[in-house]
Amino acid sequence: KLNQGGGDQTSQLLSRPRLQELVREIDPTMQLDEEVEEILLQLADDFIDTSLSSSCALAKHRHSSNVELKDVQLHLERQWNMWIPGFGNDELRP
Amino acid sequence: GAQIRSCKDETLVPMAVMQARIRAVSLRNGLEEPPAEVGALLSHALQERLKSLLEKLAVISQHRIDTHVKM
Repeated sequence: KLNQGGGDQTSQLLSRPRLQELVREIDPTMQLDEEVEEILLQLADDFIDTSLSSSCALAKHRHSSNVELKDVQLHLERQWNMWIPGFGNDELRP
Repeated sequence: GAQIRSCKDETLVPMAVMQARIRAVSLRNGLEEPPAEVGALLSHALQERLKSLLEKLAVISQHRIDTHVKM
């Protein structure tokens, strides 16, 4: 049996129906093979786990007792060149 | 004047499941539980990641069909 994304939680973060909803939003004609779905679900779990681990490392590096938004934002920006609007300090962004 | 636009706040991942995962990873790292927005941010980030992947997959599979038709 596959390890569910290396997470220590038994429940998968993303459900199959929710993934299919997302697929329909992008392209209503798109069909995913079951194996592809499985990989995407696992990839979702991995994405969250690695993002969380990196954010924890960043929080510890600045001697904080908990992860804050800025830790996750820094990881997302450095690793994925990703900026999600609507969280905290938007006005500081270009 | 400034205009504020926003989208409906619906998360890809159920927040209870996300929060449990965040709590577990935080504890394992000797940290306290982070604010709830962290879960929402991660869920939005995951949505972006999957969207970009699915868009690429759509192009790739279309290309596979196109080249097959030409042959």
